[in-house]
Amino acid sequence: MELDLSKYLGLFVSESKDHLEALSRTLVDLERARPGEMPDLVDKMFRHAHSVKGMAGTMQFEGIAMLAHRAEDVLGALRGRSGAIEPELVDLLLAVTDALQGMVQLTASGQPPGGPDEELAGNLSRAAAALKRTEKAEPAEALARAAEAPPAPARASGPTPPPPAPEARRLQVEVEVAATCPVPSVRGYLVLKRLESLGSVLAASPGHEDLKAGRIPERRLFATIETSQTPEAVERALAQIADLSRVSALPEAGPATPAPPAPVRPEPGPEAQRTVRVRAELLDGFLDVVGELLLATARLRAVGRAIPEAQRRAHDEGVDRLHSIVKDLHGKVMAARMTPFTVLSDRLPRAARDLARRSGKQVDVAVSGAEIEVDRSLLEEIADPVLHVLRNAVDHGLETPAERISAGKSATGHVEVAARRERDRVVVEVSDDGRGMDPERLRQAAVEKGALSREGAAALSDAEALELACLPGVSTARVVTDVSGRGVGMDAVKSAVEALGGSLAIESRRGHGTRIVMRLPLTVAVQPVLLVRVGQEILALPVSKVHGAAEVELERLERSGGSPLLGFGGGHVPVHDLATLIGLEPGRASGRRSVVVTEGEAGRVGLAVDQLLGQEEAVLKPLQRPLSLVPGLSAVTVLGSGRPVFVLDVPRLVAA
Amino acid sequence: MAKKVLIVDDAIFMRNMIKEIFVSGDFEVVGEAANGLEAVEKYKEFRPDITTMDIVMPFKSGIEATREIIKADPKAVVVMCSALGQESLVMEAIEAGASDFIVKPFKSEDVLSVVRKVLGSP
Repeated sequence: MELDLSKYLGLFVSESKDHLEALSRTLVDLERARPGEMPDLVDKMFRHAHSVKGMAGTMQFEGIAMLAHRAEDVLGALRGRSGAIEPELVDLLLAVTDALQGMVQLTASGQPPGGPDEELAGNLSRAAAALKRTEKAEPAEALARAAEAPPAPARASGPTPPPPAPEARRLQVEVEVAATCPVPSVRGYLVLKRLESLGSVLAASPGHEDLKAGRIPERRLFATIETSQTPEAVERALAQIADLSRVSALPEAGPATPAPPAPVRPEPGPEAQRTVRVRAELLDGFLDVVGELLLATARLRAVGRAIPEAQRRAHDEGVDRLHSIVKDLHGKVMAARMTPFTVLSDRLPRAARDLARRSGKQVDVAVSGAEIEVDRSLLEEIADPVLHVLRNAVDHGLETPAERISAGKSATGHVEVAARRERDRVVVEVSDDGRGMDPERLRQAAVEKGALSREGAAALSDAEALELACLPGVSTARVVTDVSGRGVGMDAVKSAVEALGGSLAIESRRGHGTRIVMRLPLTVAVQPVLLVRVGQEILALPVSKVHGAAEVELERLERSGGSPLLGFGGGHVPVHDLATLIGLEPGRASGRRSVVVTEGEAGRVGLAVDQLLGQEEAVLKPLQRPLSLVPGLSAVTVLGSGRPVFVLDVPRLVAA
Repeated sequence: MAKKVLIVDDAIFMRNMIKEIFVSGDFEVVGEAANGLEAVEKYKEFRPDITTMDIVMPFKSGIEATREIIKADPKAVVVMCSALGQESLVMEAIEAGASDFIVKPFKSEDVLSVVRKVLGSP
């Protein structure tokens, strides 16, 4: 029977991409690897190429299979070599990986991938031949067999396992968590982590994901580890963990080496069966539907207000229940959309390497917090800004090796990309140890561009002057890029981050480097907003930016520069009339007014409104042209009554 | 010699209670910190044998502080003080290098038994 291959296309594309991304990542790692780590990395890459070849062959994409096969040939010839790999060869393999990715992408859009690039294929053949001349290559069959061997167990962050000694042995470990322990799965997690620090965990049941989800059947954990430690030493190490009622570590029947390793996967079978791949669009669709549900519920609640008091309770109870179910559903859909930062951060070392090589620099990129999970859509939105900032760091922040050495630094520049959770925010920091930014140059550039008066520029502190890099025009001024070494498109980065409800800060010390800090919401689609009324208009402000509210008589406030000043949080904030800002009839100047304190362009500002209507979970929809061109508006949401409401971008509104 | 302890918690009440437990167990409490920032500083100052760390604190979370302490001293022993319902945070802390954890509300013998186990002195 003829197999219908088309239904496997989605899976082929997503898995091939995973393998190719991993391949390109490993290639970058390879350049930084110590000689002892080389064989492992080459093995890994060989397996990735081999998998792509196998899948493409099955799908009858001959061009992809052929190119992957040639790459596999080169990687096969690299096996057993212990010396460093020439950067040119890494370049070639990266180019091949890119070409393969392009071909896979073509198949995804239903087009034939075509034949392989002749030049690349030829270069690969020549490289393989050259390698085989210098080294005695292993027979191809042995390579293919090795490709079926288990992948190196994934090692999570944490203590580095000791290098497997020649007498590495396999142990079967079993622990039971005491019945008195209130959180057995966390205990199990601690055990698993400890085992990872003692050796390689080849299999564990339950695995990480199960434990994270709180699953540890009968409070027991089984694991197979490969370690140089004796069973007694492993038991002693585990005995240091509290709340375990039983610990045993026994040698696995038969020696671990030299017998061929059994095909054990680091994550056991049941784990795999509990995970399914879902198309991203489906998840987007889910979120849309849940968003509509939230709106519909709010609409029902609004309708209920018209029901006479006596009959309203049952209705309201029903709506409350519905609301809590929909919120729960929303939470679950959001959780399903959570994607680890790795998806983005994995690309960064490669991008930095390419840039650095082009500009004759050396760079080492360290990523931390790759495991932090953020909403998929947010990850997509921040990919460009993060890449942009990284590019700036390498292109303009870092000096050439010669400059670095004469400045007393190491020849290789360091860029650190760190992601972390802070309450309901995710913070992404990109820092480099390059030349830093020059506040004086930025002041000059801002004045030259007419963005600031000379006096205004002089009045700025150095920290404030750094923010000038985010002004359009200033940031792209050549003088800035050339001299202070930064600024290409920082205005674009800043507005992208702010459009997501985030903020961007710059810290820099001349000669020491620059740090760009992006604070972002975990998700973009639903945000709490504060609803306010001015005249007949209802407007929304993102709650994340609201610092507080007050009720004051404006005419009794001190004034400065035409604006009343409101005492708030130990300082003074200028109060603007929101009606005037949005071009309505000015609001009352006398009598008590409500003032919302929020973030303006330069520090906090107060907005005088007619009424605070309350807080609401808003499903934000991006604005389409021409509304997206109006400064001061960031999104639109629909209230329960069906009324569309604009969400204000206060900094831009005040600046406009 | 008595083992040195650093207690990190944003609540004075908790710090006092934990302090009392350690004193009763013949430990020497060398310092206290009320947030993650202070915790990292005091750790570097006192180099305690053991640090008890609250998770949710202002300025810098206990997880972040643990990560920094372990970075500064990979052999540091940090025991997290968590509440029920913070399982995923505790796992994050373990990922960051915490040696063990205690679940609030706790009894003094629980605390001392976890700490003694971690220090390998039954």
